[in-house]
Amino acid sequence: MLKFTLRRTAQMAIVVFGVVTLVFFILRIASGDPANLMNPPGQQEELVQLTREKIGTDRPIPMQYVEYLTGLTRGDLGKSFHGGQPVLDEVLKALPNTAMLAAVTILFSSTVALILGIGAALRPNGVFDRGVLVYVSLALATPSFWLAIVLILFFSVRLGWLPAIDLEGPKSFVLPVITLSVALTPVLIRTIRQSLLETLGDQHVRAARARGIPEQRVILVHGLKMAALPLVTLIGLQLGLILAGSYVVEVIFNWPGIGKLTLDAVAGRNFPMIQGGVLVAAVAFVIVNFFVDLTYAALDPRIRLAQND
Amino acid sequence: MRRKRQLTVLVFVLALTAAACTSAEDDGTTTTGEGTGTTAATTTTAAPTTTEPAAEDTSVRFLIAENFWADWDPYQHTAQSQSRIEAQIFDYLVDNPDTDAPSVPMLATEWTQVDDRTWEFKLREDVIFHDGSAFDAEDVKASIERASGATDVETLQAGDWIVTNVEIIDPFTVRLVSDEPFAPLFAQLRNTIIVSADDLANNAEEIKTQPNGTGAFRLIENGPTRKVMEANPDYWQGPAQIQSLTWEFIQDPDTRLSALLAGQADVIDRVPPQHLQVIDGSDNLELNSVTGIESVNLWVAPGRLPIWDETPAFRQAMMLSIDRESLVTGLVQGGSAVATSFLPTKTLYHQEGDPAYSRDVEAAKALLAEAGVPDGGPEFELWVASGFLPRAEEVGAAIVANLEEVGFKPKLVVTDLSAMIDDIFSEDGTGAVYHLSWSSNGDPFNHAFVYSETFAWYFGDERLQELIDLSATTTDPAEREKVVQDLQAYLWDQLWHVPLYNSDLTIANNTRLQGLDVRPNFETVFYPASINE
Repeated sequence: MLKFTLRRTAQMAIVVFGVVTLVFFILRIASGDPANLMNPPGQQEELVQLTREKIGTDRPIPMQYVEYLTGLTRGDLGKSFHGGQPVLDEVLKALPNTAMLAAVTILFSSTVALILGIGAALRPNGVFDRGVLVYVSLALATPSFWLAIVLILFFSVRLGWLPAIDLEGPKSFVLPVITLSVALTPVLIRTIRQSLLETLGDQHVRAARARGIPEQRVILVHGLKMAALPLVTLIGLQLGLILAGSYVVEVIFNWPGIGKLTLDAVAGRNFPMIQGGVLVAAVAFVIVNFFVDLTYAALDPRIRLAQND
Repeated sequence: MRRKRQLTVLVFVLALTAAACTSAEDDGTTTTGEGTGTTAATTTTAAPTTTEPAAEDTSVRFLIAENFWADWDPYQHTAQSQSRIEAQIFDYLVDNPDTDAPSVPMLATEWTQVDDRTWEFKLREDVIFHDGSAFDAEDVKASIERASGATDVETLQAGDWIVTNVEIIDPFTVRLVSDEPFAPLFAQLRNTIIVSADDLANNAEEIKTQPNGTGAFRLIENGPTRKVMEANPDYWQGPAQIQSLTWEFIQDPDTRLSALLAGQADVIDRVPPQHLQVIDGSDNLELNSVTGIESVNLWVAPGRLPIWDETPAFRQAMMLSIDRESLVTGLVQGGSAVATSFLPTKTLYHQEGDPAYSRDVEAAKALLAEAGVPDGGPEFELWVASGFLPRAEEVGAAIVANLEEVGFKPKLVVTDLSAMIDDIFSEDGTGAVYHLSWSSNGDPFNHAFVYSETFAWYFGDERLQELIDLSATTTDPAEREKVVQDLQAYLWDQLWHVPLYNSDLTIANNTRLQGLDVRPNFETVFYPASINE
């Protein structure tokens, strides 16, 4: 286990290093000069150069890269081009907000998906199953940005029940979580339903029933445990995506998280802030995947054996 | 035991989900933008308790459409968003509430002209900075000399100035001496924040993140996209009634509108045309539209479309091809107006050009023939930036349709602002014509400056440069008016670029906020606005 953890940690470090390096160079080579954007179009070159000197993009790119990596080793992610705020502070302020949104969304959507997925699998082609499949189709066809605006107009503007934007307390979670969950639940429901249908037909489940084990226990323990494997993978991937910043939802709801922070930075080519956002996204993604692997190993002894080999 | 644990987990999941959905009372703080609950400002949604009378809500939240581009380093930016918020925190020697009228006193109480390069100003004596230090002539000297380029420190704003030194006559009297006669002095003074001399000398790093002005509000939270200010209790005109003022950048206009409609914002910036009707139909919201001192042109990059550089008839043909009236009434709307000069209507000495250049397809075709290209001439790229100017894509498409009808061969390129700016600056840029805007403080020199040799839009027209220079150095008002009128007539005749319209600046606010000062130079002044609950 220790060997596995160490090997994965090294892999994660390499992935994160690769991502931040790639982003660093892509920003500087492919996305143009932020100093141009900070000056009126057509501004004389000497004044644009003054801006470059101020934000540090006048130095050679390799030198900027070495400074960036040196800073990273000290936990210094640089300063915002636009206001001089330390990037680390801003990222650390945004991260808990995104993490809370991700946690509540995953809990809510998993619960809903479990209820609907199990219900659908128990009576295939029944009324409930068909209703669930209709929901899945509708949810898949609903764009998040559209749903978010409709929810805001109805629940915030017309009824005044919920905040339209910002993180103001528990009520603020409702609309973003619903918006994200509508996008998230269809694939979860289909996965649960399909896995459970397959598992419930397995010999070990039939054997459990033959031994007289109550049906509820057969489904929840014998069936769902095996069906949970693909579910864990999916949830892990989705959690990683939301932690990396659910951009559309964070922007529409003005949610002060990593996604909004990064998108605002992209609009103004605020390189240090973009790099900070991407770094957090990369780290979140690899860590979540690491825990997914650990969970896999815990759920399925065959995987544990394969790792030990 | 295992079943009990599963049940506990299920209950926990449901409880947490329910907690997120509960209608729990807010604690009166809000986490918005990049703030956390511990540092966030009180918002308009604070719930009154039942045991105490509800306190008057004196906070105002303004959602702006343009991000903050710089830190607070004095005179080191040219960004409109930064200038707008500086006007809340800093004062100036003079104020220009009407951009086409004389200046009024601010930190200077009176002034007299000594000669064509020298002005003497009497300063206000009861002013203190936010840090408690007193304002006097030393601060004016340090500020004006730094801003105008009279010191060793290079500044971005020095380009708008002629080097000006300040002589201190006594602690509250100064003489501003420019190297050359400088006609836009008062407009420039209204652009030049007065900073503490001590800060400029000793606290250069600190004031980049913690500005120290004499204005009606002082900064208490400095996030990248969110600035929170509180009323300055020692303001020399008396403290503002608005006790907490938040400016926050929200890029998406739909989100800004949702926040206003839901009561989570009091003022929103740059209302797009498609939202005007929604706000107009609301009882507790009002629109504040002005025609901005902003020229939206088709800017042509010198050298990218040679026939443009060489053939006046080709330029006139393009001008006559475009239905500018329809762009304004059908697309941009609000307070926008068809450009009648290269200087917007609220610019000092504005004069309507002649002819009016109303759309005339036949005349445009004749001019193309006169230019030697009856087939419309070469293909060229016309770039518009989506998400920047209102309805830019539709405006671009309408212009292309107009041009094609006459025979021009434009290719519409829709991109984002960053890519457009890069194309303009790049030697390998492929665009020839760009849909962009230029705004100013209302002084004719300041507005015409963009057509001068200082900028990339200059076609080497020496007569134009001469007139622009004269508009800066002619200090006699009557003579200057004549120079500016000549300048406008010359620009209108040469048509180096295509003036389309003057921008709409529409701000929407909750009617609880009274007396908001929305100026055509895009400033939105919150002092002395009042709150009417």
